[in-house]
Amino acid sequence: MKEKSKKLRATNRSSRDGFSAVLFLSPTMIIFSMFIIMPVLFSFYLSFHNWNMFSSQRDFVGLANYIHMLQSPDFWRVLKNTLVYTLGTVPLSMAVALAVALVLNKKIIGKKFLRTAYFTPVIVSSVAAAVIWRWVFDPNFGLLNHVFRLVGLPTINWLNEPTAAMIALIIMGVWKSLGFNMVLYLAGLQGIPEQYYEAAEMDGAKSHAKFWHITLPLLGPTTFFIMIMSVINSFQVFDIVYVLTQGGPLGATKVLVYYLYENAFKLFNMGYASATAYILFAIVFALTLLQVRYMRSKVHYTV
Amino acid sequence: MEKRVKNRVAKSVLLHVVIYTGAFLTLAPFLWMVLTSFKGINEILTYPPTWWPKEFRFENYVNAFQAASFGRFYLNTFIIAIACTLGQLVTCSMAAFAFARLRFRGRDALFLLFLGTMMIPGQVTMIPTFIILYWFGWIDSYQALIVPGLASAFGTFLLRQFFLTIPRELEDAAYIDGCSRFGVLWRIILPLSKPALATLAIFIFMYFFNDFLWPLIVVNSEEMRTVQLGLAIFRDRYVTQWDLLMAGSVTSTLPILIVFFFAQKYFIQGITLSGLKE
Amino acid sequence: MKKLSYITLGAFLLFCRCGEKESAGDTVTIKFWHSFVASTMPALEELLDRFEAEHPQIKIKAQYIPTGDALIQKLITAVQSKTAPDISWIHADYLGNLVGADAIYDLDHFIKGENGIPAAELADIYPSLIQLASWRKTLYSMPMEATNLGLIYNKDHFRAAGLDAESPPQNWQELHDTALKLTFDKDGDGRFEQIGLFVPIYPSSGPLNAWMVWQWMPFLWQAGGYMINEEQTEVLFNSPAAIQATTLWKNLYDALDMRSFTTDYDISFAANRISMAFDGPWNLPRFAELLKDIDWAVAPLPAGPVKSATVTGGEYLAIFKQSQHPNEAWAFIKWIIQPEIQAFWSMKSAYLPIRKKTLEIPEYQAYLQDHPHLRSYVEQMEYSQAPRPFDFYMMESTLLLAEALERATLGRIDPATALNEAAQKASKLLQIGQ
Repeated sequence: MKEKSKKLRATNRSSRDGFSAVLFLSPTMIIFSMFIIMPVLFSFYLSFHNWNMFSSQRDFVGLANYIHMLQSPDFWRVLKNTLVYTLGTVPLSMAVALAVALVLNKKIIGKKFLRTAYFTPVIVSSVAAAVIWRWVFDPNFGLLNHVFRLVGLPTINWLNEPTAAMIALIIMGVWKSLGFNMVLYLAGLQGIPEQYYEAAEMDGAKSHAKFWHITLPLLGPTTFFIMIMSVINSFQVFDIVYVLTQGGPLGATKVLVYYLYENAFKLFNMGYASATAYILFAIVFALTLLQVRYMRSKVHYTV
Repeated sequence: MEKRVKNRVAKSVLLHVVIYTGAFLTLAPFLWMVLTSFKGINEILTYPPTWWPKEFRFENYVNAFQAASFGRFYLNTFIIAIACTLGQLVTCSMAAFAFARLRFRGRDALFLLFLGTMMIPGQVTMIPTFIILYWFGWIDSYQALIVPGLASAFGTFLLRQFFLTIPRELEDAAYIDGCSRFGVLWRIILPLSKPALATLAIFIFMYFFNDFLWPLIVVNSEEMRTVQLGLAIFRDRYVTQWDLLMAGSVTSTLPILIVFFFAQKYFIQGITLSGLKE
Repeated sequence: MKKLSYITLGAFLLFCRCGEKESAGDTVTIKFWHSFVASTMPALEELLDRFEAEHPQIKIKAQYIPTGDALIQKLITAVQSKTAPDISWIHADYLGNLVGADAIYDLDHFIKGENGIPAAELADIYPSLIQLASWRKTLYSMPMEATNLGLIYNKDHFRAAGLDAESPPQNWQELHDTALKLTFDKDGDGRFEQIGLFVPIYPSSGPLNAWMVWQWMPFLWQAGGYMINEEQTEVLFNSPAAIQATTLWKNLYDALDMRSFTTDYDISFAANRISMAFDGPWNLPRFAELLKDIDWAVAPLPAGPVKSATVTGGEYLAIFKQSQHPNEAWAFIKWIIQPEIQAFWSMKSAYLPIRKKTLEIPEYQAYLQDHPHLRSYVEQMEYSQAPRPFDFYMMESTLLLAEALERATLGRIDPATALNEAAQKASKLLQIGQ
């Protein structure tokens, strides 16, 4: 009897879910439709036009912007640079962030300080970060080469050589995103009920077994979130390129969004820039779907 | 037995050494900025670079602060960042609850659309967004700086992922007791989500505190400027006023650093299931 | 929690009212957007105060827009939403776009109007500046001040190397030799601690850093070259003159091992690490403090194989058609180009006057006698030249040239090949445009 009424209520509940969902989603949807969906649709429309942004005249050009882009060697080059940057930052930043979060979840002296220390780079605005890193990487006045000299390593012309500049960008990218991912992992770790560990300990599980069988699976949704956000963010990396290298030297650090920006605000070709944005969207969206699939197969939770 | 203890101590010491070295390396560039912000311009230029300032010059801070009406800029920035943080905590937790817990048609598609909106870079939507704000007559006002920031896909996504990790059994009990959906969100989900809410609050606050491009576009008058816009006067086409820029940047980083330092206690509060009434 | 958000909401609604300002009585307020550097700001305030004192019915509301691309982004959004200022700084790169969008006035509208100015006055402005302020031979903007490029050098370094500190290099050969003589590896680690000349290649500032091309152009002209032919039919990036100029840069870049050197030339100059660099008058107010312990001077750019030349620039003011008060905006422009005001402005800001007549003002002459740095720049205006504008794809072509210059100096490719490729691509663009 009791079971039955429970079930009844449960079905009742799901039928009323639709109405509640509208209520719960409406504040976000109102703001989204005005300030996100409309501009996004407008830029989709623009991607089929030529528009120099100053005039009110927009010429319909069909798929010309897309075709031109896919045929342009510049586009493939910046796509490659973006991939290199993503592969250089995302796995490294995520792995180190998880390691730091795990350590900071243990008995460590000065946790508050340590968490703040690792998080500080996230707080520093990109303008300020650029100030710091241009100094760190400066071949003459710079901190990094100064340290290299002290320990007898050969100095590197960080921002003046193509390969070194990409490495410099990746270093700064990891530095800037590490604390962000760490905090998310810390919050995720707090979400794992202590009881699970206690139960495992009673069964005599070793610490690495606890990590693989409890911590990592239960961090699934967090990892999924961090991975998706990291891929999106690194595909859209712009700020640090803009302030550190402006895409140089010899175009070695020119990434997709910088390329888009250059087309929009230096060459005043908003149509082409919008088309680039949609190609970027297609790539990142496909990658996200892949990650959703992968995580579904790996994690028992809905992700 | 003794060997085991020794082993454990050795491990712990090693862990401390590694984690503190990492922290120092992460913090070093920032520390250098802080120390440099006290140096005179001539010391900034010496070679090899000095680490510790020869004398601490607080004038840099005074001069930087007086270079523009930074008092007003800080007030503006706080108003914007606080309003957006509070707003997003409300809208995002509601939307996240819908995506994580409610069953309705088209949920997954809608959620993917949410994710999709994050994948279009802001550089191409900036101008249309500006024009929409212009239609509202909001250019150069707090509305323009706040209202578009009252919801976010990022925050919704973050909270949804967190809500998913909360065991459903707790809510079922509440529903049986006749609790409404809003009641469940308010009384069960949100109290359990303090770590995620605190994390999100920090991120939102920081984002709006440091945002440069959007304020740049929608703000015209001096009275509406934000801190980041103010700092731009120390950098221009050919030259950078290093001493003032460093001092200004350190000052602008402090509020978030302080907020973070004190807010962390919220996101290290673990969940203890036993503490809850079932 | 709820209460708090109500309070915040109320507070910000209150604040929202602050943005609106009423225009008082009969005075007209002119909105003026600019990106003057912080060290110029006090001079600008004095200038505007003087204007307002002389024109009690007009108020100028100057608004600083951060540099970089901020000004253009704001102008685009402002034009789109009809919130443009009355007057703004604009740049030759997008002058054509503003004209195409019918956003700014053809200044003939005012020049030939009732509050106009005689042709003789316009002719007194350096022709290179008029050329930069025009689009397809029509004047759409007015220079507010002039700048050009000179050679700054450290006199102590000259003396220490046994060179005459009063005779800076006169030609390319001397520039090259002097630069090498002033370059030292003091501690024998295989890297130079002092570099004779800063070669203005900025690897990590992107090829669109027009600053590099701007500094390269006078070398092109000195060798007798041009960016494009007068008929706008051929891009001349690969002329013998262009190859000569680029080869000079490349040789110096390699010989001085600039690759392992910083790109902050001003700081390096102040730190006694660089002996010579190219620079402009906008830095003078700042250098007064930064270089106070250094004995330094400004010299004209060395002459090339064909002639002497420097590049000129400045800031250009345009009047927007959306302005409610175009005549008052014009009054400001008309006022500012007077010789006496130009002298006043130059003495306050260290920018160069746009009018030749300014040089005849005794007060200004006396001022120049006391300020040799500024004097050197002013004297160089005689050789100043402006780039011929491209009718089509100006920015794209400049980008191609910048990439070629980078590849020739940084990459392992010879100047002729790099410049040839750029010229071919730019010529193709030119054909598409026509």
